[in-house]
Amino acid sequence: MSSIRTFLPLFGRQMGWMALALLLSLMAVGAGIGLLGSSGWFLTAAALSTAGAGFNIFGPSAAVRGFSFLRILARYFEKMAGHDGTLRLLSNLRGWLFARLFPLVPLNDRDSRHGDLVSRLTADVDALDTVFLVAIGPILSSVVVGMGMTIALSLLLPGVAWCYGLAFAGAVALVPAGVLAASRRAGARVVEETSALRVATLDALDGHADLIAFGALDAATTSFRDVATSLARTRDIPMTVAAAGAAGVQLAMGAAVVGALLLGLPALADGTISAPLYVGLLLAIMASFEPTLVLVRAIGKLAVAGAAAERLDRIATREPAVAEPLHAAPLSAGSTIAYHDIGFSYPESRRVLDHLDLAIPVGGRIAIVGESGSGKSTLLKLLLRLADPQHGRVTIAGADIRTVPLAALHARVALLSQDAPVFHDTIRNNLMVGRPDATDADLWAALEAGQLADVVRALPKGLDAVVGETGRTLSAGQARRLCLARTLLSGAEIFAFDEPTSGLDPENEQAFFAALAKAAPGRTLLIVTHAALPPGIVDRTYRMNEGVLTLVE
Amino acid sequence: MGAARIDARVFPKRAEDTPPMPQDNRNDPVRWLNGLRRVARGPLVIATVLPLLSGLLLLGQAWCLAAILGAAIVDKAALPTLLPLIAGFGGLMAVRIGLGAFAERAGGIAGEAIKLAVRQTIFAELIRRRRPTDLAASSSGAIASVMIEQVEGLDGYFSRYLPAMAQASLLPLVFAVVLLPVDWVAGLVFLLTAPLIPLFMALVGWGAEAASNRQATAMLRLAGRFGDRLRGLTTLKLFGRAEAETAAMVSASEDLRQRTLGVLRIAFLSSAVLEFFAALGVAGVALYVGLSFLGLVHLRLAPLSLEAGLFLLLMAPEIYQPLRLLAAHYHDRAAAKAAVAALAQTLGTLPQVAPDLPRDLPVPAQARAPAGIELMDLSLRTPDGGRRVLDGVDLSVRAGQHVALLGESGSGKSTLLEALARLRSYEGEIRLGAEDLRQVNESALRRRLAFLPQKPQLFHDTIAANIALGAPWATRQDIEAAARRACVTEFARLLPEGLDTGLGDGGLGLSGGEIQRIALARIYLRDPDVIVLDEPTAHLDAATESQVLDGLLDFAEGRTLVVATHAAAVAARIETVYRLVGQSLLPAPRVGRPPARHRIEGAA
Repeated sequence: MSSIRTFLPLFGRQMGWMALALLLSLMAVGAGIGLLGSSGWFLTAAALSTAGAGFNIFGPSAAVRGFSFLRILARYFEKMAGHDGTLRLLSNLRGWLFARLFPLVPLNDRDSRHGDLVSRLTADVDALDTVFLVAIGPILSSVVVGMGMTIALSLLLPGVAWCYGLAFAGAVALVPAGVLAASRRAGARVVEETSALRVATLDALDGHADLIAFGALDAATTSFRDVATSLARTRDIPMTVAAAGAAGVQLAMGAAVVGALLLGLPALADGTISAPLYVGLLLAIMASFEPTLVLVRAIGKLAVAGAAAERLDRIATREPAVAEPLHAAPLSAGSTIAYHDIGFSYPESRRVLDHLDLAIPVGGRIAIVGESGSGKSTLLKLLLRLADPQHGRVTIAGADIRTVPLAALHARVALLSQDAPVFHDTIRNNLMVGRPDATDADLWAALEAGQLADVVRALPKGLDAVVGETGRTLSAGQARRLCLARTLLSGAEIFAFDEPTSGLDPENEQAFFAALAKAAPGRTLLIVTHAALPPGIVDRTYRMNEGVLTLVE
Repeated sequence: MGAARIDARVFPKRAEDTPPMPQDNRNDPVRWLNGLRRVARGPLVIATVLPLLSGLLLLGQAWCLAAILGAAIVDKAALPTLLPLIAGFGGLMAVRIGLGAFAERAGGIAGEAIKLAVRQTIFAELIRRRRPTDLAASSSGAIASVMIEQVEGLDGYFSRYLPAMAQASLLPLVFAVVLLPVDWVAGLVFLLTAPLIPLFMALVGWGAEAASNRQATAMLRLAGRFGDRLRGLTTLKLFGRAEAETAAMVSASEDLRQRTLGVLRIAFLSSAVLEFFAALGVAGVALYVGLSFLGLVHLRLAPLSLEAGLFLLLMAPEIYQPLRLLAAHYHDRAAAKAAVAALAQTLGTLPQVAPDLPRDLPVPAQARAPAGIELMDLSLRTPDGGRRVLDGVDLSVRAGQHVALLGESGSGKSTLLEALARLRSYEGEIRLGAEDLRQVNESALRRRLAFLPQKPQLFHDTIAANIALGAPWATRQDIEAAARRACVTEFARLLPEGLDTGLGDGGLGLSGGEIQRIALARIYLRDPDVIVLDEPTAHLDAATESQVLDGLLDFAEGRTLVVATHAAAVAARIETVYRLVGQSLLPAPRVGRPPARHRIEGAA
C-alpha cells in the first residue's frame, strides 16, 4: 500500500476537487442524519403534545424540508466533483506513466512484456481511481461523521456515547483493516492473473496462424481455460471477504442501535432525556452508518488498487537502461563515426563485441555482413545508445555520444531496425513520425525512394489510407518499405540500416540500393545486411565474425 | 450514428472504419445477457430470493423498534419487560445480515461463472476463425481489452442489477400494501409514488446508456492505441516523438474524461431523482403523522398511535431503498450492454455461450503417406479482399517433390502458401493427395501438413516449450535434436539457460533469423507429409543459410516441400522453381538441370 505514496504528488494536483467532494459528502450525510433525526423528534413531540394548534410546527417542518433539499443537492454535486477529480487524476497518471516509459526504452526484460504493459497502462491506472473515490473519501467522511456523532451523544446521552463510539470504530477501522489484510494477497494475485489472461489472449491472437498450423489450438484453449479458471477462483477470495466485511459493518450498526436501546431506555425512564430527543437521536444513530455501508463494498478493491500501484511504482522507479548525460555538451556539426575499443555483452549473456574498432569518415558508406547473431545489430544499437558498451566509447563528430543530449543524437542518426513498426494509422501519419513538418512533396519523395510510391498511388485514399495493425493491409515487403521511407524522410545525416531489404525480392532489392545511392547524397551510411550489394553503393564492406570486424577486400 | 461522430474527434482519420453495430434481434444485447443466466441458474436464484426474504423480515424488524419505543414512551414500560422485543429486533437484524451476506456470495459466484464461460466462448470463437485476417479490423490490443475489461463489466449485471431489479419490482409494492392498514393515506401515497419512480428512471437510464455506449467505444480505442504505440515505443523515441506521443495520449485520456463526465452527469440524475423521492417520503410522513397527532389533519377515523407513526416513519425510507439500490446498480446494466455491444462489434456477432465446446473427433493415427498437392483453377485475393493476386492457376506437385516459389514482394506468394495451409479462403480447388483440402479433418490436416508462416510468432514461454508447440509428445531428446537440426542450439547454448531460456514478447532479445529457426525446429518435431515454408531463411547470412538448408533438405527427403523464397541460394538447391508473375505461376527453367517433368497449366 505504501506504493500509493509515489502517486501523492499527482493526487495533490487534484486536491481542490477532492476537498470539495469531501465537504459535499459530509453535507449530504449530515443532512440525512438531520432529516431522520428531526423527523423522529418532531413526530414524537407532536404525539406527546397537548398543545394542539399551539404547537409551533414551522421550525420542524422547515428543518425537515431544508434537510431534504440540502441532501439531494449535496449528493449530486459531491458525485460530480469526486468523479471529475478522479478522472483528471487518471489522465495525469496515463500521461505520467507514458512519459516514464520513454526514458526506459529499450524495454527488454521479461518484466515488461507487451501484454503486461498494456495491462499496466489501462487496468492498473484505472484501478487507482478507487483510492480516493471509494476508499480515502468515504473513510474520511465516515471518521468525521462518527466523531461528530460521538461528541453529540456524549453531550446529550452520555451513557450511550461510548457504546456508539466503539461500534462505529469497529465499522470504520476494524472491519476495513480486516478486509484489507484478508484480501491483500488475493488482490495482488488478481492483478497478476488478469495480466496473465491478457498475455494468453494476445499470444493466441498474434500466434493464431502458428497455433492452427501446428494443431496446437486445443492446447492453447486448455491453457487459456486454466488461466481464466484460476482468475475466477482467485477473485472469489476478495469477494467472500468483502461480503463478510459488509456483514461486519451491519453488525456494528446493529450493536450500536441495540446498545442505544439497552443503555438509553433507562435514561428515558428516569427522565434524564426527553422522549422526542431520544427518538431523534436513535434515528440519527441509524442514519450515521450510511457512509460506512458504501465504504465496505469497495474496500476489497483497495487491495487490488494497492497491488496495481506497486506495479506502476516498479516501472516508475526503474533505472533507465541508458542515462541522459548530467552535463550535456552540444553535438557539433559533422557525421564522422568512430567506435573505440568497444566491449559489449548483454546482461548474463555471451560477449558480443570485444575490442572492436571502426572509423567512418563524413559521407562514408560502410556495409557490415556476417553470421546472424554475430553482433552486427548490436553495433547499430550502440550508435543510437539503445545500449551502452561496457568498455570503450562511440564518438560522432569527435564527441563521445554519452556526453551529448539523447535528442541531438537521435536527430543526427536515423535507424531502420529489423523490427521497425507500422502503426495502425494513415500512411501519412506513419511517415510523419520521421519528420512531423514534412510536406506532401517530401512524403512522395520519400515514398519514391522507398520504392513504395506506386503502391500508395494505387490505394483509393493514397496517403490517407489507413494501414492495419502491424501493417496487415500491406504485404511484409511493402510494410518494410514504408518504414524505410519513414527513415529516409527524417532529416538525419547518418543512416543506420539493419537489414533494410529483408522482405524485398532481388529486383526490388537492387532498385532500392540504386535509389539509396541517389536518395542520400553526402549522408553517412552504415548498412547491416545479408544482401549482395551492387558495386558502388558502399565504400567498404566489413565482415563481422564473433565480435571481430575484418575488412572484406 | 453518435458513436462514429464522437470517435472522429479522437481518431479523425478512422471514423469510417467503425463497422455498424449489429442491431438485429438475434444479436439483441439484453436477450443475449439474459440467455447467459442458465450458466449459473442456482446461484442466481439464491442471489435473487434471499434479499426478498430479507425485505419481508425488515417489516418485522421495524415494527419491533416502533413497538419498543411506543411502549417505553407511551406506556412507560420498564426495560426488563421490553427485553423480548429488543431480542426480537436484534435477532431479525442478525438474520437479515446473514441473508445479505449469502446473497452477495451467491451473486459473486454466479458472476464469476458467467464471465468464465463467456471468456472461454470468446476465446474459442477467436481461434475458430480460420483466417487471422478475419480480425484484422480490430487490433489485438482492443480484442484483449474486450476479453479482460469488457467481460469484467458483465458480472455486475448478474450479481447486482438482476437481484436489485427483483427487489425494486416487488418490495415497494409489498411494503405499501402492508402499510395500507396502518394508515391508508401514507399507504396510498407510497402505492402511487413507487410505480412512478421506475418511469423516471427509465427516462434517465436511457440517456445514461446511450452515453455509456460511446464511452465504452472510447475505452476500447484507447486500449488499442496504447498497444499499437507500445509496440513501436523504440521507434517513436528514436524519432524524438516521446513528448508528442505522450501529449497525444494525455489528450486521448482527457477526451475520455469528458465523455465519462457526460455519462455521469446524466447517470447521477437518476440517483438524484430517487434521492428526491426518498427524502420527500421521509419528510412527508413526518409532517403528515406529526400534524395528525396535533389534530391539524383529519384524514383518519381512529387516532394514530405513536407506535404506528414511528413504524410509518421507519418504513418511509425503506420503501424507496430498493429503487435506490436499483439506481445505484443501473450502470451495471448499461456497462454490461455496452460490453456486449463492444463484443459484438469485435467479433461481428454474439457467440452462443455453451459449457462444452465442439472439437474435431480424434482421427486414428495412420502411417505416413507422402501426398502431392494439386491446384485446380485457383484464384486468390489479398488479405483485405481487394486485389486479385492469383487468377485461375493450375499446378500439380507430385508426392515427395520439392518446389520453390519466387516472385516480387506483394505478388501473393504468402497468400498462396496460407491458402495451401488452409488459413485463407480461396476460389477453385486445392487437393491434398486425393482429398479436397476443404474436406480434410482439421487435426489430420495439421498432422499431415506443416507450415512456417512468414512472421512466425513465439509465445511467452521457454525456447524448448516454443519448439514443442503442438507436440506435447516430444521428449527432451526430440526437442534437442530438432533444435540442432534447425541450428537453434548454436545461439541457444550461449544464452543463460540454454533451451530453457524464457522469451519475452515477440521473442524479445532474439534476432529475426533466430526466431525463424526456432519456428523451423517446431516442424522438425513433427512427421508431416507436406511441408509449406514461407521464407525460411529470410534473415540469415549465407553460412547459416546453407547450414539451415542442409537440415531442412535432409528432413524434407521423401516429403512434399513447397517453399517461398527470395534467396537464390534456396532456389538453387530445389529441383523445381516457379515464378509468380501477373497473377499466374510460370515455370522458371533452371540452368544446368533437366527440365521439370511435371504438368504445368499456368493460365490466365
